[in-house]
Amino acid sequence: MESAKPSPGSPDPNEGFLRLWMRHEQELRAFVHACIPQAAEVDEVMQEVSVVAWRKFPTLMDPEQFPRWACLIARYEILMARRRHARGRLVLDETLVEKLAEEGAEEMSVRHRQLDALDSCIGKLPRERREVALIAYAPQASMKQLAAQMGRTEGSLYQLLARIRQELLRCVERTLAQEAHAP
Amino acid sequence: MNQEQLDLLHGYLNGSLNEPDFARLQSLLQENADARRTLRSLSTVEVKLSQLALLHSEAVRVWVDPPRERGLSTRWHSWWPLTASAVCLGLMMSAWWWQASQRVFATVVNEVGVEELTNGSSLRGETQWLKGGSVELVSARGARIVIEAPAEFRFESAQRLWLMKGRLSAEVPPAAKGFTVVTPSGDAVDLGTRFGVDVPANGAAEIHVFQGEVIAKASGNASNQSLRGGDAVAMNGGGSTARELRSSAFIQPDEMHGLSAGLAAGQRARSEAALTDMRNDPALIALLDFESGEAQPGVFYTVQGRWPGSRAPEFVHVGDHLKLDVGGESEWPQITLAAWVRLDRLGAPYQSLLHTDGWNDDRPGQLHWMVTRHTTMRLALRGNTLAPDSEEKEMYPDSRTSVLPEQGRWMHLATVYDAGAKTVRFYLNGRFDKETRQSIAHPAKLGTAQIGNWDRQDRKLSGRVDELLLLGRAMSDEEIVALFEAGNPYR
Repeated sequence: MESAKPSPGSPDPNEGFLRLWMRHEQELRAFVHACIPQAAEVDEVMQEVSVVAWRKFPTLMDPEQFPRWACLIARYEILMARRRHARGRLVLDETLVEKLAEEGAEEMSVRHRQLDALDSCIGKLPRERREVALIAYAPQASMKQLAAQMGRTEGSLYQLLARIRQELLRCVERTLAQEAHAP
Repeated sequence: MNQEQLDLLHGYLNGSLNEPDFARLQSLLQENADARRTLRSLSTVEVKLSQLALLHSEAVRVWVDPPRERGLSTRWHSWWPLTASAVCLGLMMSAWWWQASQRVFATVVNEVGVEELTNGSSLRGETQWLKGGSVELVSARGARIVIEAPAEFRFESAQRLWLMKGRLSAEVPPAAKGFTVVTPSGDAVDLGTRFGVDVPANGAAEIHVFQGEVIAKASGNASNQSLRGGDAVAMNGGGSTARELRSSAFIQPDEMHGLSAGLAAGQRARSEAALTDMRNDPALIALLDFESGEAQPGVFYTVQGRWPGSRAPEFVHVGDHLKLDVGGESEWPQITLAAWVRLDRLGAPYQSLLHTDGWNDDRPGQLHWMVTRHTTMRLALRGNTLAPDSEEKEMYPDSRTSVLPEQGRWMHLATVYDAGAKTVRFYLNGRFDKETRQSIAHPAKLGTAQIGNWDRQDRKLSGRVDELLLLGRAMSDEEIVALFEAGNPYR
């Protein structure tokens, strides 16, 4: 317990790790989620990744390389999780997961900018849409219950969520394109 | 990517794909790099939504409490405080964002007949549609804004307001310098001032600067235009055209209080009751309240009248007018003319309230009713002459009290003509103003006419006319007072 208390002023490896983890946790989570759609499994993988990354942190020479380095750890944990859950479920082929992860590792800076842009894009959603999305994405949310509350079918709720995601993605792409053209 | 392919990706994220669709998804992802990239981007969207939803829900505590039930490894145990503090810090940062996104951009401080908003309502980034009425807002930086319906608007921040439709006036203190109104045809950037923006349902947005300086940026135009107090422009097609200033066309904060008090006091119902009485008056020639929704012949804008959501014609451009044809060749020994009028500007030589067409010797008694350059009312009847002792210098009966203080407010103008008594009596806001005597006094004639202009020469009235009454008898002073008091939108 007491191990995680950095004393002010002294360079603490825990603190260094914590800073990097904080900065990149969301993009790493997005990287994992692209290969594993189920939120609970993503949590599980992220937990393992954080443990392994912290243990191996002293071996990381260049903090700039943290996202790529963490992706390598995550990629291994993703494949492990995939094998654990492979039986009896619709799970992507291992080669495809490898491909998604490999390309994803190259996109970590894009991920970071996308997450930044999403803050304002979600803020720009019409209020009702934003609220539906936040309720639907809450842990333990039941689509069935939410659909019933909204007087919709589950199918139409899923369609609505798809439209919201699509709208957000368009907003993100527009924002990044504008950034690219800014002087 | 086509829609079908996108549907597969969303189905996968929703966990709602069946086996054949899942197989199609796999081959799509294998073959198509764009699909893989889109999947990663959509996953990023989901991660952000989950992060915010977590903050939004009770489940936050589940995360922060040590998750004992998950069966932790010992390794995890020593790791836990670090993760917990990381999560806490992450939550704090996200909470900060969430609060920022929930930040109030403006607050409603007054409203008149707006169903959609109440006093004290907080405005964030949501779009507002106002069917009727007016609303007064104060932005987080202290800019005071009045928006008149029909309107559609949205705050992007405390300093950026999107006005898709409607009429807005703003008083911007130094703290809010740079406050910008974005319209479909251009932006108005305030440099510390008072100004108005009018976005009609069809047509170019206009900026009117009452005081100070505003930068106009027409959409699609790289160069900006600096506007000073007294300037007005219309922005369209990437350019801007000078317009005459109509500062009084905009409801401003000081007017709001009177309007909201009037509405609260039940003035609208009183006005309707009075109108019903007038319609039953056997001497009624015409009563135009513009509420029937029937298209009136002429060229004018239809805007809000005295009451929230009501209608009134507005005359803006040279030649704007509303046609009226009542009475034919009938003659009235007595006539009362009354109207609620909102003048946007004064100083034009003549602003027509009602002008019968032409001005012919062979139509003695045809009448012209107007506000003149002297900012007083005039009632001229063809062939009539002033009594020798009258004070008028321009041959026609004029009122005495200037309407200047009433500019930019609804005012009630009335004139009672009596050919038998040879008198013209003027009333402003119910108060008797003056009587002018005539030597020759023909009975009054109407026929084809224009409200807000004259068919021979431009005598456009700048502003709105609501509830125009033509009555074939002389109303008494008491009746005029009652008419004014019943129809007064202010308290």
